[in-house]
Amino acid sequence: MKRVLATAAISALTLGVLTLGGDAVKAGPDDNSLTIGLGEEFPNLNGYLNTARDGVVMTRHLFDTLIWRNPETFEYEPLLATSWRQIDERSWEFDLRDGVTFHDGSEFSAEDVTFTLNRYADPEAGARSQASVGWIERVEAVDARTVRIVSKEPFPAALEFIAGSLPIYPSDAYQAAGPDAFGQSPIGTGPYALTAVEGGTYTLTRNPAYFADGGKGTPSIEVLRVRTIPDSATRIAELIGGGIDWTWNMPSDQIEQLSDIPGVTAVLGSTMRIAMVALDAAGRTSEGNPLTDVRVRQAINHAIDRETIVTNLVGGDGRTINAPCYPRQFGCDESAAVVYDYDPEKAKALLAEAGFSEGFTVEMASYRDRARAEAVQAYLAVIGITANLEMLQARASFSAWREGQIGMWYGDWGSFSIADASASMGNFFNGGTNDGARDEEIMALIAEANVSVDPETRKQSYAEAITLASERAYWVPMHTIVMGYAYKSDLDFTPHVDELPRFFSASWK
Amino acid sequence: MWAVIVRRLVVAALVALAVSVMTFCLSHVAIDPALALAGDSATDLDIETIRERHGFDRPVVVQYADYLVRLLQLDFGTSYLTNRPVLEMVAERLPATALLAVLSIAFALALAIPLGVAAALRPNSIIDRFALFLAVAGQSIPNFWAGLLLILLFGVQLRWLPISGSDTLAHFVLPMIALGSYATPALMRLTRAGMLDVLSSDYIRTARAMGLSQGSILFRWGLRNALLPVISLTAVQFGFMLGGSIIIESVFAIQGIGYLAWQSMSRADMPVIQAIVLMISMFYIALTLLADLLNAWTDPRLRTPT
Repeated sequence: MKRVLATAAISALTLGVLTLGGDAVKAGPDDNSLTIGLGEEFPNLNGYLNTARDGVVMTRHLFDTLIWRNPETFEYEPLLATSWRQIDERSWEFDLRDGVTFHDGSEFSAEDVTFTLNRYADPEAGARSQASVGWIERVEAVDARTVRIVSKEPFPAALEFIAGSLPIYPSDAYQAAGPDAFGQSPIGTGPYALTAVEGGTYTLTRNPAYFADGGKGTPSIEVLRVRTIPDSATRIAELIGGGIDWTWNMPSDQIEQLSDIPGVTAVLGSTMRIAMVALDAAGRTSEGNPLTDVRVRQAINHAIDRETIVTNLVGGDGRTINAPCYPRQFGCDESAAVVYDYDPEKAKALLAEAGFSEGFTVEMASYRDRARAEAVQAYLAVIGITANLEMLQARASFSAWREGQIGMWYGDWGSFSIADASASMGNFFNGGTNDGARDEEIMALIAEANVSVDPETRKQSYAEAITLASERAYWVPMHTIVMGYAYKSDLDFTPHVDELPRFFSASWK
Repeated sequence: MWAVIVRRLVVAALVALAVSVMTFCLSHVAIDPALALAGDSATDLDIETIRERHGFDRPVVVQYADYLVRLLQLDFGTSYLTNRPVLEMVAERLPATALLAVLSIAFALALAIPLGVAAALRPNSIIDRFALFLAVAGQSIPNFWAGLLLILLFGVQLRWLPISGSDTLAHFVLPMIALGSYATPALMRLTRAGMLDVLSSDYIRTARAMGLSQGSILFRWGLRNALLPVISLTAVQFGFMLGGSIIIESVFAIQGIGYLAWQSMSRADMPVIQAIVLMISMFYIALTLLADLLNAWTDPRLRTPT
């Protein structure tokens, strides 16, 4: 028995000693640091190889792009380039800022721009998003402080990509390290520099040499600590317990409870992400399935009460959408869309007209929110359609839609935060695997709009595409998605619709 | 003895081969790997580029053969996601998982054996009932939920212990309890049953008749025999812990193998998944082998070949 007691005593003692070993968590405002809790680990910090959202957020802090789009006004502002102009329908010229240095002290020059962009425009470099770089034919230095970017064909969305997803790397340091090592210990010109990676915690320290007159301004917070905590319940506990100061991707039903906690601000911020129920109009699941009949698709549009879903299940400032794009995107003219009001009787009549008065059964997949998907399922049941709902992981769900395994897909799309309809409609009605309509007429309009240089022509083509897509009811355009943010109340932080938190603009009150 | 070990090793290799075939097939059937790698917002062009780049457009059999050939050269491949050697990534994460597993099994044994013995000594007493209650509770509470409860109590309310991460030993205390408490009930009940069995056996009665001290009877003769099945079960539970650590490591954000496995699964980073599954199954086989050897050492009767 003695030994038993001894074991118990040792266990207790060990616990006690270990408790003392716990480091007191450094509080945010006291040392002007911000501890960020992310849910998804990023494989590396190379913005061209990493497309995970949490990683993209970090690359925006470490690197700069040539220009920057103001998240409030959606206007382009200077960053690494101080001015820019279009030379001809395929070329843009940029005047580079003087006196910018990389985190390692080396000077930023035209060569860094030509090297970085030419390298990743080459498919061999393995950029994860070919849409971001594939349009570039070549990048050349006009002189030491001027570069020219030439696209393969007229490319109206060029500035969007230059402002969004094309960070500039130091050519010498990158070549010395190689792409993988560079991704582990990146060097940029950004407002923060990576100073330590330990036990899954990334430490970013404010760049003292950062230029103040660029669009990003001067950061206020000295140190950003970035931790990955995959479980959202644990992230909430850490926020309440003081282990982290900021987190996102909080489930909307928890936002209300979270905001009741003293010292915690929890908000639902609207995003550029749109949700839709895409319908298998092309008959990918089986030829001649009910969804190939336009009356059935219109019936489905009339059957779903989108307003109620938005009010009760989306929350925040989420809103219904009528066109298959985000309303603030260039070319997303909602007035061109045919709007289907909630009218289950009309829906039943349309179904009967199509010869499905007894209803039918369809496979449906979704991933983000079970409650919303079940609401759609319930609305369909009212008009006699049995939707077999399968909640999947995001990627599996995308895969099911793309491979044509399901008739209905309640999915969403963030347009890579690009404020141009080419990033939404251009990806869903272009005849690719995302396209469940395969409508030749729309495909032609999209193709034209994607390369046209005249803004009016583009607007016109997208508007026509929107009219056709809504008339033929290829989608049930649902609503915008809101993002749940939770952070310490004494943090001054503004969420933006492009789902790209900007900690360089945040500060402690 | 050697023949037994060699035979076990051959079986182990065959099992590993079967496991590799299964994980390879499963990960191809479950999801299109190119799509999984490309991520949520990928366009068709991105997916196509990845498919060609990683050779996913080749027949699955060819891909598997290629994988096997490299495996025989002890090359576990490179992660699709990070482009780093899988072996390096796994080796980096191994210490955290090993520490968690060892702590948890030690915690489970430290709780299970004394309680089991105490319960056996006084059947139907308060201690016995308490032990039974613990066993039922421990087995019916899912360990991720237990983890969250522990976080709320010790992390948020009392603020005694850090909630997540793996920087200091203190970070391992809550996960150790969460993971260890799942293994405790079975070990405890087995200890109790074994002890009850042993205590009513002839040789203990003889020992008592010979006037041996209570302590000597209990620990020298009783426990040693009662623990035989416990050793085997400990090995099995230890193996379970590696699986359980997938959940526990993500709840507590511990940078271990389990977390890596979870991460790789959600992104279909197949070389990493295959390496981890292969490693865990090999480990399992090694543990069972070890348990058999330990049993043979503890119980001389098992050493003689039958």
